[in-house]
Parts: sequence; structure tokens; C-alpha cells
Amino acid sequence: MQRRRFIRRAGAGVAGLTLLAGCTGSNDGGGSGQNASNSSATNGSTESNGTSSGNGTAGGDGTAGGNGTSATNETGATTGSASASGTLTVATYSSFTGEDTAGNWLKSAFEAEHSGTTVEFVTPENGVNQYIQRAKQGAPIDADVYVGLNASDLVRVSQQLDTSLFQTAADSLDRADTVKDELNVDPNGRAIPYDTGYISLVYNEDEVEEPQTFASLLESRYEGDLITQNAQQSDPGRAFLLWSIITQGEDGYLDYWEQLLGNGVSVLSDWEPAYQAYMDGEAPMVVSYSTDQVFYHGPDVNMAKHQIGFLNDQGYANPETMALFADSENAELGRRFMEFVLTENAQSNIAVKNVQFPAVKGVTPSDEFAKYAKEPPEPVTFSYDELAGSVGTWVEEWARLVAGA
Amino acid sequence: MGEAGRGRVTTLRRWTSRLALPAGFALTLAILIAIFYYPVGSVLAEAVVRGGRLTVAPLADVLADPFYTGVAHHLFDDPTSVPAGVLAWMRAGFPSVEFGLFGFTANQALLSTVASVVVGLPGAYLLARYEFRGRRALRSLTILPFVLPSIMVAVGFLAMFGQTGVLNDVLGALGLGEVNLLFTLEAIVLAHAFYNAPLVTRLVTAAWETVDARRVETARALGASPLRAFRDVVAPQLLPALLTAALLTFVFTFLSFPIVLALGGLRLATVEVWLYARVQDLALAEAATLGAIETTLSLGLTYLYLRYEARQTSARGGGASRPRQVFVQGWRTLRDPVRMGLGIYGVGILVLFVGPLASMVLESVTGPNGGFTTAYYEFLVRQQAATGTGTVRPLPAITNSLTFGFSTLILAVPMGIVVSVVAVRGGAGSRLAETIMTAPLAVSGVVVGLGLLQTLVFGTEILGHRIVVGGAVAVVAAHAVAAYPFVTRNVTPALGGLDTQLLDAARSLGASRFRVLLDIELPLVAAAVLAGSAFAFAISIGEFDTTVLLAEGVSSYTMPVALERYIGNRSLGPSLGPATAMGTVLLAVTAASFLVIERLGGRWEP
Repeated sequence: MQRRRFIRRAGAGVAGLTLLAGCTGSNDGGGSGQNASNSSATNGSTESNGTSSGNGTAGGDGTAGGNGTSATNETGATTGSASASGTLTVATYSSFTGEDTAGNWLKSAFEAEHSGTTVEFVTPENGVNQYIQRAKQGAPIDADVYVGLNASDLVRVSQQLDTSLFQTAADSLDRADTVKDELNVDPNGRAIPYDTGYISLVYNEDEVEEPQTFASLLESRYEGDLITQNAQQSDPGRAFLLWSIITQGEDGYLDYWEQLLGNGVSVLSDWEPAYQAYMDGEAPMVVSYSTDQVFYHGPDVNMAKHQIGFLNDQGYANPETMALFADSENAELGRRFMEFVLTENAQSNIAVKNVQFPAVKGVTPSDEFAKYAKEPPEPVTFSYDELAGSVGTWVEEWARLVAGA
Repeated sequence: MGEAGRGRVTTLRRWTSRLALPAGFALTLAILIAIFYYPVGSVLAEAVVRGGRLTVAPLADVLADPFYTGVAHHLFDDPTSVPAGVLAWMRAGFPSVEFGLFGFTANQALLSTVASVVVGLPGAYLLARYEFRGRRALRSLTILPFVLPSIMVAVGFLAMFGQTGVLNDVLGALGLGEVNLLFTLEAIVLAHAFYNAPLVTRLVTAAWETVDARRVETARALGASPLRAFRDVVAPQLLPALLTAALLTFVFTFLSFPIVLALGGLRLATVEVWLYARVQDLALAEAATLGAIETTLSLGLTYLYLRYEARQTSARGGGASRPRQVFVQGWRTLRDPVRMGLGIYGVGILVLFVGPLASMVLESVTGPNGGFTTAYYEFLVRQQAATGTGTVRPLPAITNSLTFGFSTLILAVPMGIVVSVVAVRGGAGSRLAETIMTAPLAVSGVVVGLGLLQTLVFGTEILGHRIVVGGAVAVVAAHAVAAYPFVTRNVTPALGGLDTQLLDAARSLGASRFRVLLDIELPLVAAAVLAGSAFAFAISIGEFDTTVLLAEGVSSYTMPVALERYIGNRSLGPSLGPATAMGTVLLAVTAASFLVIERLGGRWEP
């Protein structure tokens, strides 16, 4: 369906543009580990263990074992090891699992560390909607952790359900405060970021000059030159729309898009067809990710076709998060899994295998990654609260404009 | 066994035989209710129930929204203003009028239907009236587009008709200007023709082949010109088949979804595309309302058509069909304008049908830099050997697809025949009954998928027990429901054309209705049953939307689901290569199964 369903729409108080008072406030002092006192005293040493043994290199599968063993022992003492063994069901998107994926690496590394546990993935086609609908129908939620939520998903969860689908996890995770502040999407501490991408343009410098701003995309020299995605379903498409709302204003974005449509922008269903069309030469610019070159660099690749364009010197940040189901029967094991995902070793591996930036501070996946993954000068994004009231209307008005044009 | 015992067995047999049809009917109905009407009803109910009360509000909201109905929204929000509005419009000199999303969708479906008929009819003429090498194989292959997942076709279309596609390369080499087809209405119409023209060809060819040679000869002997004989004798017999095909095409393209998404984008959205987006947003009431309107429109069309067809069923079959002309006849072939026309048609067909498929196959062996590569097939082999959890392996996908396909036949063929019998001999109300039983064709796939998910997959509380139907059983049942209308659409006209005297005679000699069906009718319409079976099999192999929702576990994925998963697989970088390789495998496996089915079936061909 799409290559990067895993790169999700985001909404967090990213430094520089929108600040999220409630959420970032509590996490501002994060990083020093003071939040750990919220959880359990017995876990106090976990953090130092985690950080000291994290090796920060990509592909270090074998070293994973050293990481969290102490965590098992620590927590085991309080909650009893029985509750920490068994099967953990992780709901996620299909491209997170399978051979040579971040999901599969997590499974084997986590299982190696917690003998007697099994991680099982379920990949419902309709994502978190599956669980919203289940909750509405009174059907059982047969998963413990959801991996791959974005801010819009969280907004939908809250709007559709009276009861809570996910439980607060941030307080009970020691490493939650090692996450980069600006990525913390959820003011209620349910969703914990584990990686992030930045939406940008990818363009072919042999064919077009880099467009500098949103306004320049309206110039006649870029007529018919841009491919973007449907903001109703596609993550990069939605991010690009939200980004345009940030730059053009809530009152001005529909006018802007009307002109963009007039200038021949193509709005395809999702990232995969859009990128395919770009590669096939249908247009010299496409809305994509700033990690594009990580995929493409190579000795015989024409890198002219993989230039990253940060319009207005910005990029729209898209943190991807995980959360623990409120009904989880294996909550303790679920928390350990989430804790494990935030270790340096796991962060490096997820970043490389998912081609995303790590969510935890100070993690460098690899030299190659550092060289080819570009970060925007100014990351922007909408906060959860800003999205909560408006995202539905914004997207629908936009879609009606495009479909009716 | 004593005399009495034998008597009991005979009585039992008679009873079984007498009850077989009513039981079959009841069973068909029960399956339909469980796996179609109940799930779909649970979704559509949202359109008329708000807060536990019946309401027309959602319907009124949609109909009075200019975005959906364009200028027609005045009819619903302020009917009294309509005459004045029409006058003002006439005074303004009939400016162009917006008909909203529904208008665009209908317009697009109409264009697609016309294109499909224009592309499909000459093919039927060629296959029915000419003999040439590979004719039968070609006839079998007309069903192939049906099984191709739209994502695959879209890839083929991109590779064929894109800016740097094969067509433009050829045009460029010939010194002709290049065409920009993608993301236009033309591309969508063309892709719809790709899917539906073969349907036109297939249904019309079947009708053409059963035209009674004696009647044509009689007409000719009485002095009719060939054209006149065609118009008065042949055309009336082709019309029902043509109309069936056109109606199906219209309904399919009205409900079109993935093709529009892939080749048109949001700017050319249809109602179904919009409905899907509403579902994704969990705006279920609005989605259900759109689904209800769509369903009403397409069921209305189906009903009208069935009424027409009932009047049309004339004496068909029986006599021998006319011999086919040999297509290639040395120099004569080049001088005959009809043969030359068909030759040019053949080239067009090659571009439209073989082009995209060949481009897909080509794509599967072409690396990112244009060189030959086997990397994508090696990827499939690696997937097969992989041990990682959640890995989608190609071989289980193939065996699952084939198993589901044949299981679908076991369910869908009897179901389809039962419905046909009702349609042909049902008496009063049988049109309505047939419409109701043909409904799966007319209901949007998104609505069916959502309904199945919310009821069977999540489970339903019955007497305190949660009944959950998941996995393979649900997939097969869903496929059967989607497929049996095709069996019906093939068998009904054939059954209707049988000589009723023959059946009455059998009945008067004491045969039960079931015996008559089994011993007399079915052998006579075996070709139609076989054609219907091929369709049912094709539907099962190609079905994606519902399968992917139901096949949550790793045990029940099919070839199209595997293909979709490979698109999301990045181990070879962002490339459609693995998906095109899987698509090529799908193409090969299905093409082979059809050739086998048709070869086996050839024995029964009348």
C-alpha cells in the first residue's frame, strides 16, 4: 500500500514554532532522569544500566542482551517474574514486521533478553481504527501494545471513544524522559515516541531549481512539477497539508491550495504511487522524507534525483509513537517492551531499519546514517491540542477543494 | 435388504431429491444473510439511525450538499426554487452545470462503459466468427484481467502509458509527439476498459456462439442481406448479453475505487473513493449514507435490467452454431477490409492489454538503473526461506489462493445455480428475489469489508456467546458471496433459453424438479456453468479488499495480499520490484489455471 506507513503524522510542540504548554512543561526538565521518581523506586538503577550499556551502533544485535537484564531483575523483584513471562501481543503496521525489519529485530532482541517471553505481531489492515471499532462494539482488545501511532490517530482515539483505549505509560517508564522533548506528542503521556521523520521535498536538480518557499511553488516555472499525496489517508500528504497551514495560516491555506491546484499539482493516493510516479519522471518534485538519500546513496546512483528541499527552511516533524492498551492483560511485560524500545541499542537499530531519526537524545545510529539523513534547519509541527479541534475540518475542507476542482 | 427396506431407501431418495432444491435455496439464503445482508445491513443502518432513532437526516445532509449532488442539491434543500433556477439558467444561455461527486462518478462510469463496449465488441466478433490458431486460448485469457489486482494493473499502466513509458518511447521512435495520459480521466477510462472490455467480449462471444445457424440461414435463404440477417436475427440475440455486460461494467466502474486512486488521484475522486476516506476517518454515518445511495442506484439498475432480460429470453441454444471463417487466408486476408480492420484492432488490443502486463513483467526483471536483474525473484526465494516472524512467503500465498479459489467454487457454483433456478422458474416476484440475491454485485466493496469486520471478525453476541468467524472460513465465504452472482449471470440466460416442453415432459414422467435440473438442464447448459465457474474462480483469486481485512493471521494471506505486503517491504530499497515479481507469479499461476479449466471444460462444450 505505501512504503512508509510507519512514518506517521505528528503533532507535538516542536521547538521553534508551536509550543505545547501542558505537555512540554512537565518534560522540560527531562533527560536528567528526575521523572524516574514517579514510577517505582526499585527501578532506580535501571536507567544507569541502560545508558551505560547502550552502545549506540547500528546492527549490534549481539549486545542487546547486556542491556536490560538488570531491568528484568529489578522489576521482577517487585512484580514477580511470572507476570513478565508469556506472550506479548504487539499491534503494528505490516511493514514493521517480516524479515529484516525493525519489528523483527525488536522481537528477537527482546526475547533473547527475557527468556520465556514471546513477542507476537498482529497487523490489522485498518490500523488503530481496528481497536477503536472493537472498543465501540464491545469486542475484546486482543493486543497489549500498539506500535506506530501518530498525533492524528490519538486525536481520533479520543474523539471516537468515551473511555480510554490506552493507559498512561510515561510515568512508569524510566527512559521516557530521555526522549527528545519536542517529539512528545501526547499531553496525557500515553503515547511514547520511538522515532521520527521529517517531511520535505525531494527534487531532481537536473530538471528544476530548488524551490525555496511555499510561495515559489505557485510560480509558473514550477507548473505541473509537484506530486503530493492525499492528506485524508497518506501520512506525508497530511503532513504537507499541515505544514502549508502553518505557513499560510488557517484562513489562507485553502486559497493557497486553490492556486497550487491551478499550477498543476498532482494529488496521488499515497507515498508509494507518488514516489513511483516521481521516479518514472512524471514530475521533477515530490513530497517525501528527508531521509531519502539513506535509501539511495550508492556508487552508481545519480544523486541529482535525490536532493532534499526544505521549503521556508523548514521540515514537518512526524514522530511515531507506541502506547499500552488500557485492557492489556500483560501490562508489565508491555512496559518492559516499551522500555526496551527506548534503549540506545534498540533506538539505533530501529532508526537504521526504519530509516527514521531516533527519538531518544544523543543516539547516533551510524556514520552513514548521519551523513545521508538530513535534518531541517527548523522542524515544525502542530501540537496535539491544536490538531484536536481542527484537523478533521482542515483535511475535509482541503479534500473537498481538491476533489471538487 | 428386504422389500420394505428398499422401499424406505427409495422413499428417502425421493424425499432428498424433492427437498434438495428448497434446502439449497434455504442454505443459499442463510449464507447470504450471515455473510452479506447482516454485515452490510449493520453498516447501512448507520445511514438511517441516529441516537437509536430512525432519521432521514444523514440522507438529507448528503443530498442537499452541492459537493455531492452539484446543482441537483436544490431539489433536496429547496425544491420550490427549482423552476426559477432552471429559467435563470436558460436565460443565461445554458452555461455548464456542476453535478457534484455523484455526477462526476456517473459520467466517468458512462464513459468507461462506452469505452469497454467499443473495445470489447470487435473482440467478440473476432472470437465468435473466425477460426485461427490460439483462438481458444485467447478466449480463456479474456478472463485474466479480472484477477489482476488493481495495484498491479496501475503499475503496468504507469510503465506503459507514463511520461517515459513504453508507448511514448515507441511514439518518439516513430517521430510522433508524446502523450500525457496519466492522472487524467482518459487514463481512468482506459484502465476501466482494460478490466471490463474482456467481460463484454466474453459474454457477447458466448451469446454469439449459441446463435442458431439455421435461423440465420433461413433469413438468408429468404433473401435477407448479410447485414439485414445480422440486424434481424443475430443482433437481438446478442443484445441481452451486451446489456448484461454494459450494466455490469457501469456498476463496476460506478463503484470504482483502487483504479481511480492509483491512476487519477484525489482530483478525479469517485463516490467510492470518498466513501473509503470517510470510513478511514470513522465518519461511518456519512460513509453509510453514501453506500446506501450507491447501492440504491446500482440495485435499481440491476432490477430494471433483470426485468428487461426476463422479457428478452427467447428460444436459444438447441441448433448448431454457425461454422467460423478461417481468419488467415493468404492474400485474401490483406485485401479483405473486415480482416484488415480486425488486424488493426489486434494491434490496438496489444497496446492496451499486452502492453501493461508486459511492462509489469519487464519491470520485474529490470533493476533501478535499467539493467537486467534477477534480484526481485531472488527476493521471493529469500522470503520463502526466511524464518522471521510476520514474513509473507510466496508459496503459502499461492497455495492459499488456489485452495480458496477451489473452495469458493464448491460454494459459489451451487449457490449461483440455485439462484438461477429461482430466477428462471420462480414466477411472481422472482425478479425482485433475483435482484435481492444479485445484490452482492451492487454493493460497494468497502461497505462489505467494513460490515464483515464489525460483525463476523469482531464477533457477535448470540445468547451470551461471542461468535467469531475469522481466517480461512470467512475468506472463502466472502469470496463465494462475491463470486456466485457471476455464476448466476452466466447460467440464468442459458437456463431461460431451454425448451420448457422438454422439462415438462420429464416432470410429467415423475422426475423431481431436482432430477430434472441435474439430469437434463445442467448438462445442456454445462458451458455456461463452466464459464460462471471460471469467473467465480477468478473473483476469488483476485479479491483483495475483503481478504486483506479478514486474513489477519499469517495463515490465510493470498497472492494479492502478498503482493501488497511486498510493496511495503523495503529490504531492496523503495522499489516495486518485489511486487512486480509477485505479480508476475500471480499472472503465471492464474493464466495456467484458466487454461487448465478451459481445457478440462472443453469436453463438455456443446
